[in-house]
Amino acid sequence: MGRYLLGRLVWCVPVMLGASVLIFVLLRFLPGDVVDIILGSEGSATPEVRETIRRLFGLDQPIYVQYFVWLGAVLRGDLGSSLRTSEPVAGLLLSRLPITIELAVLSVAISVLLAVPLGVVAAVKRGGPVEHVARLVGLIGLSLPNFWLATMLILVASLGFGWLPSLNYVNPLRDPIENLKQMLMPSVSLALALMAIVLRMTRSAMLEVLGQEYVKTARAKGLGERAVLMGHALKNAMIPVVTVVGIQMGTLFGSTVVIEQIFGLPGMGWTFVNGIYQRDYPTVQGAVLMLALTFVLVNLIVDVMYAYLDPRIRYE
Amino acid sequence: MEARSRVSRRGFLRQSALLGVGSALLAACQQSPAAAPAPKTEAKPTEAAKPAPQPTAAPKPTDATKPAAAPAATTAPQAAPAGQVKRGGTLTIAQELDPVSLDPHKSSNFSAVQGFEHVYESLTQYDDKLNVQPALAERWEMAPDGMQYTFHLRKDVKWHDGKEFTAADVKYWHERMMAKETVAPYKNWFDAIERIEVVDKNTARAVMAKPYPPLLATFAAMRGGAIIQEGAAESSNLATTAIGTGPWKLAEYVPQSHLRYVRNPDYWNKELPYVDEVMMKIVIEEDARVAALRAGQIDYAFLSQEGADRVKADRNVTVLESAKAWLTCVQLNTSRKPFDDVRVRQALRLALDPNEVIQKAVSGAAKPTGPVPTGHTDWFIKPEEVKYHKPDYEKAKALLADAGQSNLKFTILSSPQYPEFVTTALVMQDSFKKIGVNAEVQQLEWGTFVKQTGAPGFDYDIRVTAFTFYPDPDQYMYPAFHSKGVNNPMASYSNPKVDELLDRGRTVGDSAQRHQIYFEVQKLLEEELPNFWMYAGVNIEALRNQVKGYVPSFTGRRISLKQTWVER
Repeated sequence: MGRYLLGRLVWCVPVMLGASVLIFVLLRFLPGDVVDIILGSEGSATPEVRETIRRLFGLDQPIYVQYFVWLGAVLRGDLGSSLRTSEPVAGLLLSRLPITIELAVLSVAISVLLAVPLGVVAAVKRGGPVEHVARLVGLIGLSLPNFWLATMLILVASLGFGWLPSLNYVNPLRDPIENLKQMLMPSVSLALALMAIVLRMTRSAMLEVLGQEYVKTARAKGLGERAVLMGHALKNAMIPVVTVVGIQMGTLFGSTVVIEQIFGLPGMGWTFVNGIYQRDYPTVQGAVLMLALTFVLVNLIVDVMYAYLDPRIRYE
Repeated sequence: MEARSRVSRRGFLRQSALLGVGSALLAACQQSPAAAPAPKTEAKPTEAAKPAPQPTAAPKPTDATKPAAAPAATTAPQAAPAGQVKRGGTLTIAQELDPVSLDPHKSSNFSAVQGFEHVYESLTQYDDKLNVQPALAERWEMAPDGMQYTFHLRKDVKWHDGKEFTAADVKYWHERMMAKETVAPYKNWFDAIERIEVVDKNTARAVMAKPYPPLLATFAAMRGGAIIQEGAAESSNLATTAIGTGPWKLAEYVPQSHLRYVRNPDYWNKELPYVDEVMMKIVIEEDARVAALRAGQIDYAFLSQEGADRVKADRNVTVLESAKAWLTCVQLNTSRKPFDDVRVRQALRLALDPNEVIQKAVSGAAKPTGPVPTGHTDWFIKPEEVKYHKPDYEKAKALLADAGQSNLKFTILSSPQYPEFVTTALVMQDSFKKIGVNAEVQQLEWGTFVKQTGAPGFDYDIRVTAFTFYPDPDQYMYPAFHSKGVNNPMASYSNPKVDELLDRGRTVGDSAQRHQIYFEVQKLLEEELPNFWMYAGVNIEALRNQVKGYVPSFTGRRISLKQTWVER
């Protein structure tokens, strides 16, 4: 198992290198650079002035030179400085990452805690009211855009119920209750779609597993229904569910971009997109690197969970 | 092209689709540009004489051109009678875009000004009627030939860190603005100053390379005019911190979250500011601003017409609508055929009805305008009086036929960063059909738009863009219409008469004469139509009723915040 994990970790390196090359090149394919953003089309924006600033930022170098300079610095632990604020990118992103991670973890927790039991019941009691509810939730969850849901939550909560979480982000270590109040609406907005997916996946996986021979065997040897479902069926049904949650983490990070802006949370998603609009290359590159790392780690966790759920995987 | 950014979900979505980023997105950031207060440098100084409730010491502001005329000015225009004012407390305002950087000299985005304008000051300032008033300079003299200005600085000014403000700071400011490495977008506004001489601790002399009549207003505009402490650029990060002389100190800036300002107890105007703390929360989504405003979480928000309609029913909220220096303008690339032909330009202009554009593109929240935005003190011409203001489809068709054009096709570029550019382009597309012209509307992400359509490539047929506040008419016209202007596509628009007038406008000191010059240029441009000036925007600001003393500014800035108080 240790070797297996180590092997997966080593794989992170080419994945992150690939991601960094890709974003480096793509960013520079975008028309316009930070110089255009800073100067706009004001009267001072003569070609000489533009060249001066490109030279100051090293943007006049060939792209591969820029890449290796950047990579060299990254290997020394330096993600560079923002082209707009000169602040170190690493510090900026490290202050942003926890907010996005908290948002993602809460969303996954909400969706899994609600969707799995509902999916199990829907599979077991086929044709019952729970299954109808489950279908409805699944349909709504997949159809409602999260930014619309977020806006509606704000309007209904603040105007209808006078629910006013703090305007500025509250660190959970300082005031966990206020922090949770604040994160509730954004996490729910993000969780709904994931919940629909997990719900459908749980239901269909359970249905499949319940038709397997070993479930019949378990029942035949006299196990209670509860033990059959929890001990035998659910654990096996969870493998596709865990897979889908892992994969959905990518989508989830993408959605935080919007949700963070709507709720005014200074997280990674917003920082990332702002960086793109500003053509702030070091910030975007750093953010991609961190997101890639996070994604790789999430997949690693998924792999570990496979091994837990299905002992056979451990011995391969 | 400056535009103050506004974001809508629609804009967002379009952009994200372009970028391929996840689902929806966000908008943009701040690259908008110009803003600043307005000048009335040499206009009649009579209105400057308000019955100063708080006489702030200011001696007479001598105007560039009409020195002695100005009566004593007060820097606190129209403040309420002292008895009513409630001091203290926190004012929470929504800011619609992240400033990104607070460096007062290096940003062209308007949101940067909105972030630093409460911390820094310049030698002069605007009151809420756009009169130039003393600020860090309590008075000044101009040499008769306009080649020298002597600024007498206030002696009672301290920087937020306790140091004394002196003439050396002014000299340092100018050196930084001019330094090549600074890359200041508004450097050209101060190019005319050759150097600043320190006469003594409290006297700074600007030695001019050439006369520049808008100088005093240009300081007040705060686009590059903010004075920073000597050495500040080397010893601190001006993008994220700020030591100024203004009414508030910057206590905290958390990008994408908020800016917090606290009262400067040593402010030279002892009366001001009234509020102890200003919390500026960055809320880019308008729905979130509306909800927070109605729920009482914020006291002030900038809104669109649609947003305003949704808060109007709320008895606790007041909506202020006022003229704003937002000039939405359609630029024709005169270096390309057929836009080099004045008849084609006139024909296209005659297919457009500004009132229809205003109704359909911005729900009526704008006014027709000429080359200087309607409402800009007394510099603008009345659009109703120009020849091509009213649509005339028959005449348009005749002009096209005359120019030998049939089946005309071209592309209108816009950017969803400003949803109104897109709606304006769509209304135009529709109008052009009436004269048999087919236009295609294309949307580009803002950075792409600036790069593709700006100097030196000017790769567009027609583009829709906008200007925020410029202090002087020269700045609205010289860059695009003088044959040497940097924003004149390949120097293709060239009219010797326009050149001559624009050149004279930069040297003539007499106010009345300058007004005549710029009225004449505007009329010439409205005849030749290198641009179509579609409309001037409306500033829509919503406030909780307990907010008192706030007065909108034509500049779009929140100049009167220091005279605002909260009644709790």
